[in-house]
Amino acid sequence: MKHLLKHFSLIAALLLVAGSAVAQERAAILTGAELTRVVPTGFYFQGLSAPTQMRNSAAARFGKDRYVISGLVDTSGYSADVRAKYVGFLITDSAISLNGESLPPGAYGFGFATEGKMTVMDLSGKDLLSVPVTNDKALRRPRPLMMAADAGGVRLYSGKDYVIIAAK
Amino acid sequence: MRQKFLSLVCISLLLPLALLAQEPEKPKSQQPMGGGGANTGPAVTYTSRRTVGITDPSAPVVFEDVTDKTSLSAFHHRSGEASKDYIFDTPSGGVAIFDYDNDGRPDIYLVNGSTMDALRGKEKAPRAALYRNLGNWKFEDVTEKAGVANERWGMSVAIGDYNNDGRPDIFVGNFGISRLYRNNGDGTFTDVAEKVGVARKGWSTGASWGDYDGDGRLDLFVPGYVQIDLNNLPPNPSDVGKSGAVGANFCQFRGVPVMCGPRGLPGEGDTLYHQKPDGTFEDVSVKAGVNDPEKYYGFSSAFVHVDDDKLLDLIVVNDSTPKQLYINKGNGTFEEIGYPSGVALNENGREQAGMGLAVGDYDNDGRIDFHITNFSDDSNVLYHNDGDNNFTDVTFQTGLGEVSIPFLGWGTSFVDYDNDGWLDLFVVNGHVYPAADAHQWGTSYAQQALLFRNLKGKFERVGAPPGNALANAWPGRGLAVGDLDGDGKLDLVINNLDAKPVVLRNVVATSGHWLGLKLVGDVAKKSPRDAIGAIAFVTTGNVRQRQDVFSGAIFCSQNDMTLHFGLGAATKVDKLEIKWPDGTMETFAVPSIDRFVTITQGKGI
Repeated sequence: MKHLLKHFSLIAALLLVAGSAVAQERAAILTGAELTRVVPTGFYFQGLSAPTQMRNSAAARFGKDRYVISGLVDTSGYSADVRAKYVGFLITDSAISLNGESLPPGAYGFGFATEGKMTVMDLSGKDLLSVPVTNDKALRRPRPLMMAADAGGVRLYSGKDYVIIAAK
Repeated sequence: MRQKFLSLVCISLLLPLALLAQEPEKPKSQQPMGGGGANTGPAVTYTSRRTVGITDPSAPVVFEDVTDKTSLSAFHHRSGEASKDYIFDTPSGGVAIFDYDNDGRPDIYLVNGSTMDALRGKEKAPRAALYRNLGNWKFEDVTEKAGVANERWGMSVAIGDYNNDGRPDIFVGNFGISRLYRNNGDGTFTDVAEKVGVARKGWSTGASWGDYDGDGRLDLFVPGYVQIDLNNLPPNPSDVGKSGAVGANFCQFRGVPVMCGPRGLPGEGDTLYHQKPDGTFEDVSVKAGVNDPEKYYGFSSAFVHVDDDKLLDLIVVNDSTPKQLYINKGNGTFEEIGYPSGVALNENGREQAGMGLAVGDYDNDGRIDFHITNFSDDSNVLYHNDGDNNFTDVTFQTGLGEVSIPFLGWGTSFVDYDNDGWLDLFVVNGHVYPAADAHQWGTSYAQQALLFRNLKGKFERVGAPPGNALANAWPGRGLAVGDLDGDGKLDLVINNLDAKPVVLRNVVATSGHWLGLKLVGDVAKKSPRDAIGAIAFVTTGNVRQRQDVFSGAIFCSQNDMTLHFGLGAATKVDKLEIKWPDGTMETFAVPSIDRFVTITQGKGI
């Protein structure tokens, strides 16, 4: 029994380490040419392609070659009801989690239609998931959109509100 | 390779998905271009307009509307059609107060707009107007003699004595080709814009004069707004429902068709003209690093001293895009620090639809602060200068936030209306969409102006007594401040869109002592003669006030450059210090107060 427990503990420890290694795959926030190389200049969502606000775009690389890209778009071409819920895009080439909620690879729209929540939509505007945001009162110079490294992955900020993106 | 894949994601991965979806078509009303200057969020139904008819029977009478007692009542501003189908129909209307004939009485210049028919030669163009101040609230229209009617689509006015001859000159920023009216000193002006190289094309807005390179000659900065092709105009709301317009996409505000822009329209870069020794100008925008390659929608600007060196810095207020703060490096170039300084965005990191700009030291800490007006459904913003090129958005803690949200602000200026030694604030408002009156959006097309009293660093709105000038609503745009009757109390002139202007005489009953300063720089010491860039510090007791001589700001307008200090109950000035544009400091004894004093650099009072 003692032997079995020892094996179980070892396996559990190995699993934890492995899981932790994946979850804590270090994220690098992209800047400069690295950033502009991956951010698309426009994005399709719900019947229109709109230009990206390049000044309000951000991207992170997990490990060697897994990317998460986000940007605000110029939503002026959309009707008021779409503009009320859609502000930008989120692209990921691998599975990620948003505040622990799983999101498969793909391209999505997002917005903050509900106070205190970030909503991710498919390209037809259908809600896929909604996660609560955290308000970072201590953030001194917030931006319309930015990413910052976090122990659990990457913080995706909209102003002082953020969600945590983690590689899966 | 990986990156290439990613950049193609939108097209290759998503379009097939969109095609496969094949769901029943959703009701859509998309349009190709922008529908307003701000993201206003979800629509809200209001029960009142909040921007008109707000009165307070117990409020003091501060201003009296004396427009109809003056010849300015004959002036009628016009910009496009009443339907406001296009963005160029909506922002025109600067105004300047300046003493063009050096008779000691400040005069008034009103910018006018234009119409498409006038541009096509089908009707007479609206005319700008210059009113000579004869004293006792009498003004003479001297436009014809002076030759300053412009007769182009006028936007802005900035005053500066560019040739250091002691006579103020007029730059008029146009939607079209701008003008520089050189003051000939005999009551006439000559447009020398082409000759000296500042005949800027495109859409010029709130310009500012300033000697950024310390050579004693004024230079000129002109923001650009939006690029418009008059032969290929965006959809306009008047065409909704018309035959032939079926299928056209219209811009919307809260689901209602409105004129398009600025978002969705291409912006225009900014221009810095450096004055050469021969009095002509060269475009140094790119070299200086202020050309605005992002092409933000520029509306207001001012050369001011943000830090404590002797070099003029520059702030540019942009519509719907970040504001820019340029710190002068002293080698002919500027460093843009809008984001790190905190000025680019509001405290929540949001871009705002910046319109007007007030420049002044509202808390008497010796540093220049900025108040900026914005679109409706958003607050105006007050940036406190913390020093070391850091600013903090203090809008809500100073009392300027909530009250400004329903208003669409334009001209804004600090003005110590009660001479208590603390800069108060006046804001001119008016919506861009006439449809605001047809829908309950909690706002209106014509709007009341806002007056805020400064209570030692906090602001409270001064109410409007019923029937008083401040109870009126106007489609306000430009604003200028000056003591028009020389009584030591600051008066105001407002230029209204498609309407007559408003002249507000300051009649406040409780007013403190005051001091008016007209500064004259020494050109031989490389200070511009009109002293733009000079700073005056007046100390009374333990209060040290600061006033700067600057050009432009407000919204496409110009305050009288005579510096006005309210002294409160103080019966003498303990100390007067002048930091001249060349950086030298002089201290003066002020023999008496409640008067205007002219101080010449190096020569004293």
